[in-house]
Parts: sequence; structure tokens; C-alpha cells
Amino acid sequence: MAARLEIALKKHLFDPEGASLRRKIHDYFGWRVDQVRVIHVLTLDTDLSREELELVRKELFTNPVTQESSCNTLAGDFHWAIWVGFRPGVRDTAGSVAIEAISDLLGRTQPPQSAVYTSRIYLLKGDSLHNDQVETVARELLANDIIQQWRIFSPSQMDPREGIGIVIPKVVLEHRPAVEQIPIPSDEALLELSRARNLALNPQDIPVIRNYFNRPEVLGSRAKQGLSLPTDVELEAISQARSDHCNHNTFQGKFLYEDVHNGQTMVVDNLFKTCIQAPTLSLQSQNDWVVSVLWDNAGVARFDDEHNYSITGETHNSPSNMEAYGGALTGIVGIYRDIMGTGKGSRLIAGLYGYCVGPRDYDGKLKPHLHPRRLLDGIVEGVRDGGNKHGVPTPFGNLFQHPSFLGKCLVFVGALGIMPKKVLGEPTEEKKCRPGDLIIMSGGRVGKDGIHGVTASSESYSEHTPAGHVQIGDPYTQKKMHDFLLEARDEGLITFITDNGGGGLSSSIGESCTFAGGAHVELEKVPLKYEGLDVWEIWVSESQERMTVAVRPDHLDRFMELSRMHEVESTVIGRYEGTGKLHLTYEGKTCAFLDLSFFAEDFPQWEFEAQWVPPEVRGLCEPVLSEPADHGTLLHHLLARPNVCSKEWIQRQYDHEVQGTSVVKPLVGRGRDVPGDAVVLRPVLESSRGLAVAQALNPTYSAVDTYHMVAATIDEALRRLLAVGAGLAEVGGVDNFCWPNIQYDPVQNPDGKLKAAQLVRANWALRDLCLAYGIPLLSGKDSMYVDGHLMGDFGVRHKISGLPTMQFTATGIVPEVSRCQTMEVKVPGDLVYLLGHTCDELGGSEYYDALGYVGLHVPVVDVHENLRLYRALETSIAQGLVASCHGIYRGGLAVHAAMAAFAGELGMTLDLRRVPQAHRESQTSPGKDSFGFSCTTQKALGILSDHKLLFSESPGRFLVTVKPGNRERFEELFEKLPWGLLGEVTDGTSLKMVGLDGSLLMDEPVMGLKHSWQKGSQ
Amino acid sequence: MSTVRALVLTGFGLNCDLETAHALQAAGAQVDRVHLNELSEGKKKLHHYQIFVVGGGFSWGDEHGAGVIMAMRIKHRLQEDLLAFIGNGGLVLGICNGFQVLVNLGVLPGFATGSFRRQVALIGNDCGQFRDQWVNLIPNTSSPCVFTQGLESMEMPIRHGEGKFFAEPGILERLREGNQVILTYARVEGGPAKGEFPFNPNGSLEDIAGICDPTGRVAGLMPHPEAYIHGTNHPDWTYLREKLGRQGRPFPHEGGGILLFRNAVNHFA
Repeated sequence: MAARLEIALKKHLFDPEGASLRRKIHDYFGWRVDQVRVIHVLTLDTDLSREELELVRKELFTNPVTQESSCNTLAGDFHWAIWVGFRPGVRDTAGSVAIEAISDLLGRTQPPQSAVYTSRIYLLKGDSLHNDQVETVARELLANDIIQQWRIFSPSQMDPREGIGIVIPKVVLEHRPAVEQIPIPSDEALLELSRARNLALNPQDIPVIRNYFNRPEVLGSRAKQGLSLPTDVELEAISQARSDHCNHNTFQGKFLYEDVHNGQTMVVDNLFKTCIQAPTLSLQSQNDWVVSVLWDNAGVARFDDEHNYSITGETHNSPSNMEAYGGALTGIVGIYRDIMGTGKGSRLIAGLYGYCVGPRDYDGKLKPHLHPRRLLDGIVEGVRDGGNKHGVPTPFGNLFQHPSFLGKCLVFVGALGIMPKKVLGEPTEEKKCRPGDLIIMSGGRVGKDGIHGVTASSESYSEHTPAGHVQIGDPYTQKKMHDFLLEARDEGLITFITDNGGGGLSSSIGESCTFAGGAHVELEKVPLKYEGLDVWEIWVSESQERMTVAVRPDHLDRFMELSRMHEVESTVIGRYEGTGKLHLTYEGKTCAFLDLSFFAEDFPQWEFEAQWVPPEVRGLCEPVLSEPADHGTLLHHLLARPNVCSKEWIQRQYDHEVQGTSVVKPLVGRGRDVPGDAVVLRPVLESSRGLAVAQALNPTYSAVDTYHMVAATIDEALRRLLAVGAGLAEVGGVDNFCWPNIQYDPVQNPDGKLKAAQLVRANWALRDLCLAYGIPLLSGKDSMYVDGHLMGDFGVRHKISGLPTMQFTATGIVPEVSRCQTMEVKVPGDLVYLLGHTCDELGGSEYYDALGYVGLHVPVVDVHENLRLYRALETSIAQGLVASCHGIYRGGLAVHAAMAAFAGELGMTLDLRRVPQAHRESQTSPGKDSFGFSCTTQKALGILSDHKLLFSESPGRFLVTVKPGNRERFEELFEKLPWGLLGEVTDGTSLKMVGLDGSLLMDEPVMGLKHSWQKGSQ
Repeated sequence: MSTVRALVLTGFGLNCDLETAHALQAAGAQVDRVHLNELSEGKKKLHHYQIFVVGGGFSWGDEHGAGVIMAMRIKHRLQEDLLAFIGNGGLVLGICNGFQVLVNLGVLPGFATGSFRRQVALIGNDCGQFRDQWVNLIPNTSSPCVFTQGLESMEMPIRHGEGKFFAEPGILERLREGNQVILTYARVEGGPAKGEFPFNPNGSLEDIAGICDPTGRVAGLMPHPEAYIHGTNHPDWTYLREKLGRQGRPFPHEGGGILLFRNAVNHFA
């Protein structure tokens, strides 16, 4: 019998959930609501007796101290009620936990068809509220049509006895699973089929696929299995395997690169091989700390003599763009599984994030699916719940706002893990499934969710994008699985493990079976959330919280025993074999029989025309600006801008200290609210060795030249590590590219050639900087198609392409954590040094952006000069000569000096006449088959004016404070390097800057600057 | 000193077990991390231990109220073992999610020993959100609580979404009278927070951050002592090191959170 329980806080208690909504309604729309209270609803589709229901209500779901509940309605006094519940098939963790708890309380397992569905009723009081306002609140704040349904009630519309009624969003599929054999008589037919079924096959792949199925030996071996035409299971599997998301066809493509300015052309064959793989392998061969790269779910590097750490990062843009909370949550728990599936499994030690969204206060004409403010709130909360509920600290991340991300947002998620070097004498980073090993699926069950997620993210967002690929992750289920799998690993029960992410079983088994040489999977054994899935859907579903594990038959009993103890579902679904075939059966009948060699076949390389138009040829130039009249007010303004201002509201919601490993926190300073340069963890509590982590992204530099965007971003990430005390010697990197579509089309993508050239140049910088700084790429990923088509005025749909973006994550070793340093100035009287040259480099800067310009002189990285400086800095921090250290990043010297001062809550006096200035000359010279970049930095005097000195974003610089007593030793270390003693820390309350003419350029109260910086985030 | 054995509970989304075990070890205990099902299936016995810690985390994802389902589980599967453990002089500590469990179980405030009755609650923070923040705390020096004996005012992080301590006035009065309030939130300079955000980070009534039962052997708190095991866990440590260094004084390696665990271990010494 179905029943509904309504639960609410007792009326005399403050309702924080209601108050938050009330606040949000005001923040978003400016409307005042007198009061909001929330009722939690459980709709039970169970066979509980009346007495059992009463027991469950009282014992489980009602806190006698604070709550009241009823099987009738609790909604009494309101002007409007909004009910919000899930659509059928959407993951409802609270609902499944409720069933678990009911079974536990009653001591009997509930029948499989029973379920509990959770929903909420929001009771709004405010007699001025109109129906359309309430609808806006429901649609824009509370519910997302993709995953939720909602209804609005006025008091007269709600039946006093029935309340909202009983809504059961149960998935009912009146469908008998079937396998279809599909004729593909011509290339055109397969292309049409690809379109109709959303297979997203590349036209170039189509002849290869058809050719395979027509080969006599293939036809012969298939005939023995009762197959002739390709099945839907096979075509879907091929679609997954060939998708750009899984296969990185773009990065493996061939680029016909042309520089329109000098007419030079060259062929760039495979960016992945030349710019990622080659430098990383070369660095690995020189560095024994680089343990395992370029093949597993994450890269592995040495932490200490007994432990390795693992790291990876990816993006979850498309799903987050449609359902921000679910997409981001699924993204972060998904990247966690990559760590759990690295080597024989590693333990999670940190999660990382990076968000690029449209302006939070956007009020233009375009209509994104979710307004940036709501989108960002949802993303922030998704990663929060994923991290916090998983027991993984989320200590570092980025937020960047730019109108180009209105089309599609970027959600970068990263994760770090740690593993003992050896388990039972076996290297932990190695794994190999062998013929005879059982294939086990552990964790969640399979439903229709996430089908075609991989292929959808290989397309740009349009009104036709299938909504079904959005899911909601379940960190609770996954945390149980995490703990279970680590125990199984430590008992030596796991021979191979990988996660089920994009592509589901088709990817995890499809890829792992190449180690064994084949696999046979019995798809009817895969546990399902509900009946009625087609066989191909079982194979490609991306239902979350699942790992694929290879276990030797003699270990099966112990593995299952541990799984039961942790209450994690594990099922044997097949066996690895040495047959060379991927063999899928359903109830004994073969539904796929593909040669593994087919997937490694010569699919044609994707080709791109890449046409580089240098920025000056594109018409970019430096703006003509006078010296500002009021530098102080300008600084306040810059500090309050979205890409500079405080992000504490995000960082505070993320548990950044769980596991007890925190050494340098994301927020530092006397007020503990200013972001540090990097975070440092002590992943092994017994040791005093640390792991520093930082990330950087600088999309606005791409508007000038993506080569320098990438170079500056890598330099920034590295400087962030150095600033907290990490060494230069063992720095690892993770590159995450997010790019708009680069395939030229005269109508759909007229600037595709430029975007392709930008991608090539970005990769050249990645290669050059990694080699120069000695940073192997431990992991990385690319996500293309950052484009959206948004409706504007007059019913015109506009294509919006995101700025080419690469987020770089860097890790470094801190040999002794007690030597770490933070960015805030600490003691009055300390000397303030600026290290590194300041050049006329404001192209793409925050300052130019604030004035409405891009400019031309983008920051250029001089790696050779920088390296000498960085070595000296590393030594000075290790010797304890430095009292604070802060890199200078977006916003320039003025912004970052202000931050170091207000973080320390001390004054500072700086003299711009002492800033080491330089003229930087750089050259890019594409030759026939190579690309050269050279750069010289010449010390120069008197070339920069005050505002350029204040706001230039030249890389390679730090602001450092030093105790006067350490002055000589410090300066000795920096002999012949660019540094300037700009001034000192004062016990006053203001930041004073002396200009080039010797007059006081600004004198601003430090805490006033901080106030502006904090105000910007409201 | 004979070996003091401590059990740190794991499973179902609990997650601070590694650092809690580390803190207990640093305090001198011999520690086992034990899954709830190992206890309820009898593979491990509570009576083999002297200290039982239910630590932080998100048991059952905090669904249907933080700690509610874990409490129900313990009540139905381990009630007798737990009552016997407490009756025989064992120490029980609930941290964050563990505190929520003990409160929902009713062993806290435990006015009448030997029975489980919910009388106080930890509910959603007034700020409406999960929050990670270091807080200043004042220990109640008159409390019988074993864990907080001899502590001076101290700092620890809170990391929760449901930490607002709530009870009706009569219960609050009994807690006060019995000195069962063990820790209260304070201002940075030392006075009581008096409900003011962010010093009182969640809106707890009477600034209550932790309570104990009348014996002082069962206690719970929202702040995380196990997150302050090293001096470098403190948010200001680089500043403190600089200050101390210039006075020629060393920076302490140990964090203040260890003291609570040391009190527990020393109780059996």
C-alpha cells in the first residue's frame, strides 16, 4: 500500500533550509517573502502494515526532539506551496537509504519492487506573491525540469486531507529486452543510422566499420555464433569506443598548420604523441620518481620510499551545463573512481575543482539553460556533497567568470590518491587481468541513466541533446565501495581494477580485456535497477558508483565475503579469456562477437585545417591609455572584480581538513580567509613529508595567443608550488584542455581553422614548458566542443564558443612540512622584495579587461631566467630566510601586494622606482616540421609607467618578505638575479605606494581594500 | 602502564577513522579500526576495548537526519553490548557524526543511565550550509567529562552542516546543573560567543559544542580534535612559527587535539 509521510521541524524552531530559500529568492529576484518552511516528504511504495508504518514513522523518520510528522498533510498556514520531486529513474539516494533503514528496523528485507521516493514541499508566506513569481521560484531555483517535477498549490488548490496526493515516480518499462540485427548496406545507410540512434560516428570511420563486418573471415566466425548482420549492441559498443571522449581523436589528429602572416605551412601529426607523450616519456626516463604514466586511469608518482601518489583530472562540462548539481556531483565522484581504479587501487586524499561560468550577474539577452548564478550554485553544491560525503578533502580550486562560458560551462574535477608501493610484495601500480580471471561488477546497479553521455559530450549543446544522460552521483554508496576495495586490495584479491565511467561496461571491460586478450560477458547477470533495459543499454549505461574488478576464481569467496561485510553489491558477470574476442551473450545467445584487433585497426586519422592569424594581424593592438588619476580607487575596483575577489563562500563549504592531513590550508592569513598560493597535505600522518598542490587557468590570454596562455598557466602553477615551499625537483603536471569545436565549417564553424591553430600552439607551449621546467604530465584529458547555441532576442539562436582554456594542475614534494611558507606578511619591519622582471605585459590582463580592452602584449614566460630565480627562491625558503612568499598572478603587483598585506592585517610601503623592469622580446618561428620559440629578457630602466608597473601580469615574479637580520644572506642567494627591495611591512594600517616621480601614488587602508575584495563576491 | 585498547568505528560512510586512530595511537593507545558489521556479527567484541570512538563522517549520507540511521542500527544490534561497555567503565567518544549518533541513540545526555532516550538534537546550521571553520572553545572545568579534564581554552575545526545543538529549556537546565556541557564556542579573544556567528558557527543554543553523560565517561562534541594532531594543522601555524622563532622559541610539533585522547588513555593508566 502506498503511503506518504510528511516531516517538518516543530513550528517554534528556526528552519534554516527555508531561510536559505527565502534569502536566495531575494538574492536572485529581489522579491521579499515573509517566511519559508520546508516539509520533507517520503512516499512509500511498500507493503508495510499500518502498525509497521507507524513504527517506521516514529522510530526512523521523526526526531521527537525537533520534528513533527504525519501520514496526512502538515501544510497548514501558507500562501503558496511548491512541491518538488524527482522524475522517474533519477537517482534518489535518500529514498534508497530509507528502504535500507526500514528493512533494518523491521528485520526483514523489503521486496524488490518496493521503494521510497523523497520530495519536498516549500511553504511560502507572503501575501504579495503572484502565481507567476511562485512559478519562477519553482522553475529557476528549486526544480530542474530535466530531473525534477514540480507543482504549485494555493491553499484552495490543496485538498485538506490528501495534501499533495501520492506521486510515485516509478520507472515502468513495458519492454522486453531484445537484440536487433541491423543491415548497413551502404556508407550512407550507416551514417543515417548513426544520426538516428545518436551514435555520433565520424563519417571517416564508417567505411572501416562496414569493411570489417563484410570480411569473409569475420562473417565466417560470426556465423558460428548465429550472427550475420551487426547487432545494435555491437554498433553501440563501437560508437562508444570510437567517441572523441574515449579515443581523443582530436589530439591524435593531423593538423595542416599554416601561418597566414608569413605563409609558412607545416603538418602537425598527432598532438598527443608529440606534445604530451614524447616529453613525458623523455622526462620519465630521466626521473625514477615518475612511476606510471600515460596508460592507467591516473598517473602515479613517488611520494616517499614507501608510498606513491596518484593524480588525475577531467571535466564534466556537458552534464553540469544541463543539471549543475547532479552533473558536478557525478563529475567529482567519477574522478574519485579513477583514483580508486589506479594500479590495484589507491586511497583518495584530495579532490580539486575548477569552474568557468558566465558572469554571475549576467543580465543580457541570451538565455542559457541555467542562469550562471544558479548554475554556479548548483556546481558548487554538487562538488561539496561529493567531496564531503566521501570523506575526501577538497582543498584547492578555481573560479573564472567570462561571458564566453554562457554557451557551455567548464567544470574541472581532479583527484589525488595514495598507495603503498607494494602490497604483499607486488608493485601496486601494476595490474593485469589474465584469461580465467572473473569479471566482477561492484557497487551500484545499472539503469537507463547516462546512456549516450560520452557521445553527447562529444557534441556541442543544442536543443536536441538527449537529457537522459544527466545523473546524480551517490557518494555514500561509493564511499562504502572505496573502503571495501582497499581492504580487498590489501588482501591481494584484486588482479585488475578499473572504473565504470564514460561508456560504462563497454569501456571498462572493452579496455581491460585487451590485457587478457578477450572476454566473455553474460549480460543477463548484470544487476539492474529496474527491468526492461535493452541489452545494448546494459552494455553502455553509465550508471554511477560501479567498478569493474578482475578476481582469480580461488579468491572469489573471500572477495564476496568482504563485499557482503561492507554491504556493497558485487556480481560475477563474466570471465576474461584469451580468445582475441569480445564476446557478449544474453541468456545464452551471442549478441556481440567482435575481434579486439578491430578496435586497434587503422581508423583514419581525423584531419583539421589550422590557420594561425597572429594577433596583430587580427587587429589586436595595445590600448592608448593615460595614467589613472586615482590609483587607489582603481585598485579597490579591481579587487572587487569577479575573477579577483574573495571565493571564501565556496572554500568554506568544502571540507578541506578531513583526514587530518592539512598543512597549508586553502585559506590563510590572520582572518583565515585569503587564498594561499597552493595547499600542502601530509598524506602520511606519521611522516613530515608533504605534497603541495596548485592549479591555474588563464583563459583571457587565449584571446591574444594560446601559446602564451598555456605557458603562463604552467608557470603560474609552478610558482604557486614554490611559494609554499615545494621543491623544483619532483614537480608533476596534469593538463586539462577545454576547447571549442575546431573542425572548420564555412557555415557552422567559420573560425574553426583559427581554433584549431590555437589548439596546436597551446600544445607546443605545453611541450616546451614541460620540457624546460622538467614537469612530466602525470595525467591529463581534453574536452572539446565547448560551444552552446543560445536563444536571444527576436528568436535568434546564437552560437557561443568558450575561450580556449587549459587548466594546469601541479604537484610538488615538500621534503619537510615544518618549512612551509604562506603568503601573508607577518612581522612589521620585514623587508619586501619583488623577485623577477616586470615587463610591459598587460595583454589579456585583469586591468585591461576592467577597462574593456584585450591588448596585444600578452605575458611571456622566460623559462631560463625564471629557473635560476626559482632555484634561489627554493633555497631561501628551505633555509628559513623568508617570512612570507606570494606569487604575482592575475591582477598584477598591486592586487597581490594588497592581498599579502590584508591577509597579514599589516601595512606595507612600496616604492615603484625599485621595481626591476625589463624589455622582453619573443619570437615564434614555425619551420617545415618544427616550431621554435625563443625569448630574451633585457634589463631596462624607465620603460614602464606607474599603472603598468602596478598591473602588468608578467610571469616569473614573487613578492617576498624577509626579516632584516636575514637581508644579507637572502640577497646573496639572488646575486645577479632580478630583484628589487621595494619597501617594508609596517605596523600601520595602510598600503602606501610611491610612484616613479617619488610622490605618493596611493595610500589606502589595508582593511578597506580587503572589504572591497570581499564585497565583490556578494 | 598496561595497554589501553581503543576501537574506532568504520563503515557506512564514516570517514575520520584514519586520523582518529592516529591521534589515539599518538596518545598511547593500541587502536583497531573496526567495521560496524564486524561488531554486530560478533567478529569483534566491544568488551575487548576500553575506549570506543564513533568519529566523524557521513554515515548513510546524512540522509533522514545526521546519525539517525547509524543510531538505529546500533540500538537494534548492539544495545546490550554498548550498555555493558558503558556500565563496565568504558569510555565512549562521539565526534561530529559520532556525536550525532550518540545523541540520536540517546546515550547522550543519558540522564538515566541504562536506557536510550533522545532528549537533545543536532540540527541544521542556522547559516543553512555545511561549514569548515576553526572555532575557539572554552572547556567547562567543573564538568566530570574524562576527555576534557584539565584543558584550557583551545581551538579546533568544525566541519558540519548539522551541528546546531538544540534542547528544550528544561533539558538545557539539567545539562547546565549537572555540568554536562563540556565545551562551548567562544570569541577569538576568549569570551563566550553568545550565539554570534561565526564564533558560534551553527547557532547552537547556549554556545554548546559538546556534552557528556552524568558519569563523564560518555561524551560527544562537534569540533574535531583528531584534525589537530600536528602543530601544522593550525591555520595560523606559519605565523606562530615566525613569532616564536624570532623569540628563539621552537614551534610545537604536537597539536592540541591530542590532549583529549591522552586524557582518555591516561584515565586507564
